[in-house]
Amino acid sequence: MSGNDESEPPERPTEGQRDGTTSRSTESTGEEAMAADGFTEAEPSSREGDTDDGATDSTTDLDDSSATPDDLREELEDVSASELTVPPQSLHPKVRIVWVVQSLISAALFGAIVGAIDFGVIGIGLWVGPAVFGVFALIGVLHAVLRFRVWEYELREDALYLERGVVTRVRTVVPYVRIQHVDASRGPVERAIGLASVVVYTAGSRGADVTIPGLTADGADDLQNRLKRMAILAEGDDAV
Amino acid sequence: MTTKLHPLSVPYRSVQTALNFLWIVFIIGFSGTAVIGGTTGALVFGAAILLGLVSAVVWELLYYQRFEYELTEDTFDLASGVVSRRDREIPYRRIQNVGISRNVVQRLAGIAEVSLETAGGSSAEAQLRYVSFEEAQRLQDELSERKRHRSHSESASEADEEEEQEVPERETERLFEITEGELAVLGLVSIDLRLIPLLTLAVPFISPALSNPALYAGPLYVVAPLAAIVLYLLTSIASGIISVTNYYGFQLVRTGDELRFERGLLQRYSGTIPLEKVQTLTINENVLERAVGYASLLIETAGYSPGESGGSQSAVPIAKRDRVLRLAQSIEPYGDVEFERPPKRARERYFFRYLGVLAILTGLAYLAELYLVPNLEWYWMLLGVVAVPIGAHLKWRHLGYALVDDHVVTRSGFWNRTTSVVPYHRVQTVLDRQTIFQRRRKLATLTIDTAGSRSLIGQDARAIDIDRERANELREEVADRLQESLAGRIAPEDRLFDPTATGTEVGDSPSVSPGE
Repeated sequence: MSGNDESEPPERPTEGQRDGTTSRSTESTGEEAMAADGFTEAEPSSREGDTDDGATDSTTDLDDSSATPDDLREELEDVSASELTVPPQSLHPKVRIVWVVQSLISAALFGAIVGAIDFGVIGIGLWVGPAVFGVFALIGVLHAVLRFRVWEYELREDALYLERGVVTRVRTVVPYVRIQHVDASRGPVERAIGLASVVVYTAGSRGADVTIPGLTADGADDLQNRLKRMAILAEGDDAV
Repeated sequence: MTTKLHPLSVPYRSVQTALNFLWIVFIIGFSGTAVIGGTTGALVFGAAILLGLVSAVVWELLYYQRFEYELTEDTFDLASGVVSRRDREIPYRRIQNVGISRNVVQRLAGIAEVSLETAGGSSAEAQLRYVSFEEAQRLQDELSERKRHRSHSESASEADEEEEQEVPERETERLFEITEGELAVLGLVSIDLRLIPLLTLAVPFISPALSNPALYAGPLYVVAPLAAIVLYLLTSIASGIISVTNYYGFQLVRTGDELRFERGLLQRYSGTIPLEKVQTLTINENVLERAVGYASLLIETAGYSPGESGGSQSAVPIAKRDRVLRLAQSIEPYGDVEFERPPKRARERYFFRYLGVLAILTGLAYLAELYLVPNLEWYWMLLGVVAVPIGAHLKWRHLGYALVDDHVVTRSGFWNRTTSVVPYHRVQTVLDRQTIFQRRRKLATLTIDTAGSRSLIGQDARAIDIDRERANELREEVADRLQESLAGRIAPEDRLFDPTATGTEVGDSPSVSPGE
């Protein structure tokens, strides 16, 4: 989790292209496209820090200082930040099922524990366990419904924005520059229902790592991809 | 060329390991003796201890044999591990802090522990236990030298010859040295409330007379405050002793673009704080310090707080307030700050909060009198009503936030007032929170998260209980300013044509000398 250097393998080619494109600034030919590809390939092997980037950049500059490959430019156009943005989105409605199931499970566990204690130690009556379960299940369902209503995420030009929380409302801005890595995760309940989550990590507080639940499997892939590209596009210095 | 640890580390570590395992050996030995009994039992016991010692020595010998480190061109390489081997390469520019620590025994033996902190992970990335003190100092110098060299050669991508000139001279300047007077003040004003539970447990052991019930005769409203005062005094004495031993002989030196400090009476500690890695500055003034016009300064990097578990590095444990401010300004020139206070309705909130706390405490006292302690005279608790509005006002009064040119500054706390200075370019995420109570009063708390070591334990810079709309604006503004400041810092053009774009910005700031 230390630095931008730790970008995952799939990101490297794109980052290579970005480096190449930013350091060169004019027109292009087909050969340069080849050169750029070669450069892209070579990039991962020589990542010891930005020093090497600098070195590679300057040598490529000497080779073809007056050229930017068209296709590279087009690709950059493809990933321009404004096209990757997503307007404010709610989660997938099915996420309520995930939350309800999760809270039912913990309510059942809690009810069972209380019931067992009651049965073994206190002996008020058999209804205690189910009653505890009922109360917690009700709270869980209510919470899930309200939580779904509040949850909202948005991919802006320069930052990920999240709004969430029933009891405590939290609005978070995560600038893309600060993203260290992005995970897609699927818990057992989520898998059963066919949903997935995306987890965004920054170098800040470990506890504040941001999770976006309630995405379809494709949606999670897409979001992960967008975030990844946004993070690459956002030129940042070292976070730490 | 690889280097090994100091040979003396073998006996030292052996004794350490043996001591760590001694109690296990004892348990096994005692139970063994009890089961077998007699001379055989004693023999088995002795054999177990001997075996433990021998295996400790053998293990540490192997550890020594198989531990190697090397300073290469770009990385600090480390190969270690007796059974499972571990090879590490730590790029110099990723190193946050380098610390050297020596306790009394280690000082006598002339050895020292070196720890390298990086931003990842939850503990020191690499620990060399133990090398000779000279070697430790050499490593500290060498590592900062190489780190500096690397970060400069990288900002100066193409101009090699220029780069050599750009490397600033390693001028050394003494920024701060603790005087005996200051040390005394530190001992008097520092109070660590975490010691209270420990002391409460320890008191009956230290002085059995204290547990004499006769001492507690008398009405509780007399005994309780007295006990509180005694506890407070004991705590402050203990904290004072701890602080004085921790910060004895403290000095802070600036070498090039790095701060170095040394401190400690029994455990001597020296560490580096690279200025280009500074995340946040925190100025602490507790109520006593404010009364005598003193303050302390913490400098946070993303490294995991070397030398102190869980805390940050005290750059200045105590000094006159204006001196601390000058030093802070020289590290992060944040200029004049005019704090904005939260709206007055925040104060009402504290009023009701404290009232609620008082009501609960009174209720508990009432119940205690009813069921546990007769004659508790719980109604004295109601006198606390007088303290409630005062407390609410004081809390409100010391809250504040300000957005200045390059920094966001927040302040909070009456008992221990904390002022945090966060440069925009160090902001990680910005978030605002509204609890259910805050929503009623249209308030929100804005948190500015950084990668500093204190934010990992939840002590982020926060603007507490500000107006909801204002929090919304500020959240966006801080995020925007982050983007702006980053754009200013690393625009690729700057990088290519102004070799010092990244290097000097931070490196120069200290020269906004402590005299301003």
